[in-house]
Amino acid sequence: MTTYLPAMPIWCAGCGHFGVQAAMEGAMRALGIPPHEVIVLAGIGCSGTVQNNLGTYGYHALHGRVLPTATGVHLANPELTVIATGGDGDGYAIGMGHLVHTFRRNPAFTYVVMNNGVYGLTKGQDSPTAQDGSSALGFDAISLALSIPGTSFLARGFARWTDQLHVLMVAALEHARARRGFAFIEVLSPCVTYNDTYPVWEATLHDLDADPDHDPTDRAAAFGRLVALGDAGRMAVGLIYTDDTAVATDEPAHPATQDVTPEANREGYTRLLSRYTV
Amino acid sequence: MTVETKRKVDDLNIMVAGQGGDGSLTVANLLGVLLARRGFQLYTARDVASRIKGGHAAALMRGSIVSRGCIGDELDLLVAFDHEAVERAGPWLAEDGIVVYDASGGPVPREQLPQGASVFEIPFARLAVRDLRRDLFKNSLGFGVVARLLSVEDDEAAAVLAGRFAHLRPEVAEANLGALQAGFSYADEHGLRSGAGPWFLDGAAPSDRMLISGNEAVAFGFLVAGGRFFAGYPITPATEILTWLQRRLPEFGGVAIQAEDELAAVNMAIGAAMTGARAMTATSGPGISLMQEGVSHLGSAEIPLVVVDCQRSGPSTGMPTKPEQSDINMLVHGGNGDFPRIVLAPATPGDCFELSGAATNLAQKIQGPVYLILDQAVSQDSITVKPFALELIEAASGKRLSHDDLAGDFEYRRYVVTDDGVSPWAVPGTPRGMSLVTGNERNEWGHVSTEAGNREAMIDKRMRKIDVVRDELPRGHRWGDPDAAIAMLGIGMEVGPMVEASERLASEGLAVSVLQPRTLWPVLDETIEFVRNHDRVYVIEHNAEGQLTHLIASVGAPHERLRPILKYDGIPFRPGELANLILGEEGAVR
Repeated sequence: MTTYLPAMPIWCAGCGHFGVQAAMEGAMRALGIPPHEVIVLAGIGCSGTVQNNLGTYGYHALHGRVLPTATGVHLANPELTVIATGGDGDGYAIGMGHLVHTFRRNPAFTYVVMNNGVYGLTKGQDSPTAQDGSSALGFDAISLALSIPGTSFLARGFARWTDQLHVLMVAALEHARARRGFAFIEVLSPCVTYNDTYPVWEATLHDLDADPDHDPTDRAAAFGRLVALGDAGRMAVGLIYTDDTAVATDEPAHPATQDVTPEANREGYTRLLSRYTV
Repeated sequence: MTVETKRKVDDLNIMVAGQGGDGSLTVANLLGVLLARRGFQLYTARDVASRIKGGHAAALMRGSIVSRGCIGDELDLLVAFDHEAVERAGPWLAEDGIVVYDASGGPVPREQLPQGASVFEIPFARLAVRDLRRDLFKNSLGFGVVARLLSVEDDEAAAVLAGRFAHLRPEVAEANLGALQAGFSYADEHGLRSGAGPWFLDGAAPSDRMLISGNEAVAFGFLVAGGRFFAGYPITPATEILTWLQRRLPEFGGVAIQAEDELAAVNMAIGAAMTGARAMTATSGPGISLMQEGVSHLGSAEIPLVVVDCQRSGPSTGMPTKPEQSDINMLVHGGNGDFPRIVLAPATPGDCFELSGAATNLAQKIQGPVYLILDQAVSQDSITVKPFALELIEAASGKRLSHDDLAGDFEYRRYVVTDDGVSPWAVPGTPRGMSLVTGNERNEWGHVSTEAGNREAMIDKRMRKIDVVRDELPRGHRWGDPDAAIAMLGIGMEVGPMVEASERLASEGLAVSVLQPRTLWPVLDETIEFVRNHDRVYVIEHNAEGQLTHLIASVGAPHERLRPILKYDGIPFRPGELANLILGEEGAVR
């Protein structure tokens, strides 16, 4: 190894994030993406350390700002596979405004939110999704996303259902890499120390992938389904919505890889200058 | 009425004023083109309310044979579309000034004007609506009358107008030429003949010049230095940088994006910068407040970015369209923690172009934040300057590692501690260059570390980076008599008035030396030396605290020599006003 060695995870034994990391690694392997073409950006919190463990390019964002940063990375070099990650506090509290606008813009990268309904790293405060332990839908980002016209890929997994999570993670990366747009995947990832909800949450899950009545390309039906399930205290997992015909935000250029030497651009600069002559 | 005496004009201050949407800017633009053709240098400014239409709006223009960096002391010519314009401009009008007044709504409020002023009352709007069926034609009509006042031949005035409307539909140009003719007819009725008005314009050989604002020049300099990514959020008076780059960057393979807020703007720029694009964001004080976390992060994570602050009157929302220089403390000291930063302060458009390019390159070299500090006047006033010297701006990359550099046994540590503090870096996508970038304290590999020895080494490493570029930090500009006992020191919008005031003081026998420090942080030794070399240094500032005075005193300029002259009413200094203030202070000293 000629650069950094991936770190060992800092998470508590039994943390859902181990399942998330495994799914990310598995998806990158399944798609054969070399590590130097991947950048994993993370927010602040326990989930905000996953980028240290993977051997790819890694970036630790300011609290709540992982989405604008990932947008900047993606626009600067659209050839990179960009994976933004973070927790529900990072994404749905301090970073909420950016989430809405990222759905709206539909840039071609993936965002993995590890939702555990609690602020674990600061030792147990309520997060935006906290709701009496029985579900993590005090705030449902997927229902919100369905109301935004630009939304093109929505999935939810459960950290313990590793097979499904792998499939969803691969589908998310493929959606972004095919330039269809912003692939959003929320993983219910319990905090064993401050909000140990594995059995409670698992009992409320409704797997839409196994539901013959669910059509993931039908936005209105997906929204109705989420509302009905939520009212019944249940949480949907699986591929909730995808628009296979979507086209990502324009990527008109590759700013990071342009030839910016003055000589190569002199003609254009001179032409601009002439516009100001009086 | 007519004015008998013929006056040769070589320094003309004009205001065209009315309600927002009246088209004050159109008349001013036409006059600008006319004056430029005659070899005049231009300084143009706006005075507008913070609303889309309506509210008092004025275009100010100074045309002078000698290049000037500010509006002059008095108005010579006022084109007023309403009563309020006369009320506001009246106190500034020269004793022998001329007023062209739109009398559609009644006679001019004569009591607001100096006794010697000449007034031409013309119902522009009424004529425009009656004869041309559209209120907006009053501008071309008014221009016709003003051209006659300045003894400009009708053909020349028509050529100016045709040029101005050349890019519009032929019917529009045609209609405006009609309005111009109506203006001439009206002038005929009042004895103002073509080429035979009360004033006539001095002339100079036209030279190569461009007319450009500071904001446009900042955007241009960034582009030429290889800037290819910009993220911003609309805010007065910085928005033109966003719109200019949105328009121009795509054709050079760049991207300019409008973010949802300033937090997103600075972080988008951070993301692009860390990916290897030369990047910039621009805003005003309220946006800089929001970006403080991002700037601190740039310092810690070692990411190169140019952050432009087009200052306006604060605190809070303040007076969005008025200039001030009250963000100096925030730029120099803001953001949590200790980290290296550079603050550059341009004054003219040429300066903005040069320092924007320098900032872009310096950011790459120190892998950290470089601020450009402007003010509303520097940002938005348009001035004639020599064409920018494109060849003087390089596109530096700092210490970057390619795939080849990373070959073999090379051990890449993103934050390796080096003698000069700069750690060579590989941008994402480079094979074998995988790295961890973070705002956490970390070890050389990028892994989080709170180990005490490492912490000290990392802080010291980052602070050393300023020394790498210390010799290339932009030096100040100087005017006046370097051996004078007294001096003036100021940045941005103060420079034009300082220079002109010093000339007047010199002509009255008071020698003055003038310094515009262009690197505000770190404060250069030359700035401290300058203060030491004069008995009294008047620090000219647009803020109430004397932020620049305190800044240079805090790093060793002898405090007892510093005399702040402060203004915070939202109006730039006029050169005569400044000269009188210095004379008053000096009189008190003597």
